[in-house]
Amino acid sequence: MNAPATADLARLPLTEQRLPDDLFSRMRSENLARWPTGAAVDIDEAVELHRRLPRHKQLAQVMRHAVAERRCLTQPRGGFGTFEMHRDLMVALDREGHADVVPTTTDSYTRNEQWHLAQQGIEESERLGRSMLNGYPMVNYGVARARELIDAVDKPAIMLTGTSMPKLTGEIAFAGGYSGYLGSGIAYTTSYTKELSIEDGIRNYQYLNRLAALYQERGVELHRRQPGFLTGTNIPPSIAIITCVLDCLLAAAQGVRNYGLEMGETLHLVQDAAAVAACRELCQDYLVRKGYGDVFTPVTLLHWMGAWPQDDAQAAAIISYGGTLAAISGAASVTTKSTHEAFGIPTPQINAEGLRMTRMAIYLARKIRLDGMREFEDEKELIKREVRPVVDKTLEMGDGDVALGAVRAFEAGVLDVPWSPNRGCKSRIMPARDADGYLRILDPGLMPFPKDVMEIHKAKLRQRAAQEGVAFGHELAVSSVYEIAEPVAKLLSDRWMR
Amino acid sequence: MTDPRRTLVTGVIGSDTHIVGNRILSMALEKAGYKVVALGALTPATDFIKAAVETDADAILVSSLYGQGELDCRGFRDMCVEAGLDDILLYVGGNLVVGKQTWTEVEQRFLEMGFDRAAPPGARVETVLEWLAHDFATRENPPVPPLTKGGSKAGGL
Repeated sequence: MNAPATADLARLPLTEQRLPDDLFSRMRSENLARWPTGAAVDIDEAVELHRRLPRHKQLAQVMRHAVAERRCLTQPRGGFGTFEMHRDLMVALDREGHADVVPTTTDSYTRNEQWHLAQQGIEESERLGRSMLNGYPMVNYGVARARELIDAVDKPAIMLTGTSMPKLTGEIAFAGGYSGYLGSGIAYTTSYTKELSIEDGIRNYQYLNRLAALYQERGVELHRRQPGFLTGTNIPPSIAIITCVLDCLLAAAQGVRNYGLEMGETLHLVQDAAAVAACRELCQDYLVRKGYGDVFTPVTLLHWMGAWPQDDAQAAAIISYGGTLAAISGAASVTTKSTHEAFGIPTPQINAEGLRMTRMAIYLARKIRLDGMREFEDEKELIKREVRPVVDKTLEMGDGDVALGAVRAFEAGVLDVPWSPNRGCKSRIMPARDADGYLRILDPGLMPFPKDVMEIHKAKLRQRAAQEGVAFGHELAVSSVYEIAEPVAKLLSDRWMR
Repeated sequence: MTDPRRTLVTGVIGSDTHIVGNRILSMALEKAGYKVVALGALTPATDFIKAAVETDADAILVSSLYGQGELDCRGFRDMCVEAGLDDILLYVGGNLVVGKQTWTEVEQRFLEMGFDRAAPPGARVETVLEWLAHDFATRENPPVPPLTKGGSKAGGL
């Protein structure tokens, strides 16, 4: 049913090191032969295409400018199953939503390299006149169609692909003029796959990173980005940042120089601002320590990634507040959702509305910062005290090699991700929301957080348990999964005096 | 109310990784006394049926959150019948289609596909437990007149 995976020709032992030129060249030929549209990829022609793009359509440049000017850009998600539907969506997000970055989300068959199934999905979508796929089948449509999409909008375009198998989608998108690609070996493998090993996920993204570096060598800087939002379910900042640091070191080793880091919003203003600052500082610390002094690492926040309320009014509050959080935190961009989130994929108009809501909130909060505020500084320090021991232990386990260290650390449970579908991830760590609205760690599993740090987390969660009269335990984690989706009258009763 | 002899197969169908709700549902079903065979995320339709045959299951509960459930679930009942699971109870739930469509239409589409119940976005564990208790009891003691399939009440949950 699926296209065959690339055979292991001369598979080298796993290491973080840059893929050698000759091996990478062979891997590319083999990769491009897996589906007919791969034949249209020509790197020389693609480099020319990117060079001819105006600067405001090159995401790497746009992100650099946003940081220099302290702007917070907006970017939605979105993808439909046929070319026409998808082009109309991109145009609507650009013109009606004023998106600063226009997305192309791939469908889940494409994500799993089931291109035959994606083809059936295209045909069914055309027959029924509505999208039967949850994204755009980039590989099936190929390079020429991708270029038409790039021509249709006046913004830079990014691929959002939720996959651990990015090799062919990445080749076709870059060749088509897409200047950004979201995805990474550790984050996506632990969040979007069940059977794929962490090692294979890392290897697949080494290919994509090496490909971005190939463009870089020829004078075209592409924007690569890491999805530290992980499973999107109450991910405490430190867990996200640990994967940000490791994935960004892996990308830098392949030659990537423009690498974004993403985190889901916790929806606590102070915690989110602290997370953005800690993420930026920690990634740069470790990059410099490993000898990469010239990697640009903008941070992006994402609107709430957990379960959403069905009430439009409540959803609108989360969207607007999410824009406020992103602006105040100093994030370089925010990835938006819409009031349809509880029901699935939004229409182009509702999606554009989410963008405008967010944009207005960013405008209002544009100059506010929390630097110097006691609670903010304390939280930032706490996050750093959680991240460092885990990253250091991981590097030690790999004898300094990030790829080896990550694989061994997941096996040992030193690295862990809450609510992961992947068999190679223990998923013993359990987060929950405390009484003040911060995300805390209820159970660290086997992750080596300092004892005094864990005491802080547990004390906060005990407070919540006591306040609500529930047992301190697993039930706190489960109720936290649904909390934000609850009716507002339950969360904040108007019958409080009775 | 719960019959402990009943075996349920759960999982997230197709190329979908949304595991959280399904895992919480599986835990709650187990806590309620059912024997649960949890197949997890990214489960092909054929694996559900294979697991149901191997464990002699009484019901299959299919989750789908990513919008492509409509494609993934086509022919599910026929595949059950082919495997000899003619009477197995079939539930489906989640965000079953692409976009916000009218629930009654979506529900009807899935009931026509041969599912006994379809749960809308945001349906609660308690509802599923009530449905199971009701449907298993009905099978043991068929009422007169027989229950209308897939109560429309589900739409308001």
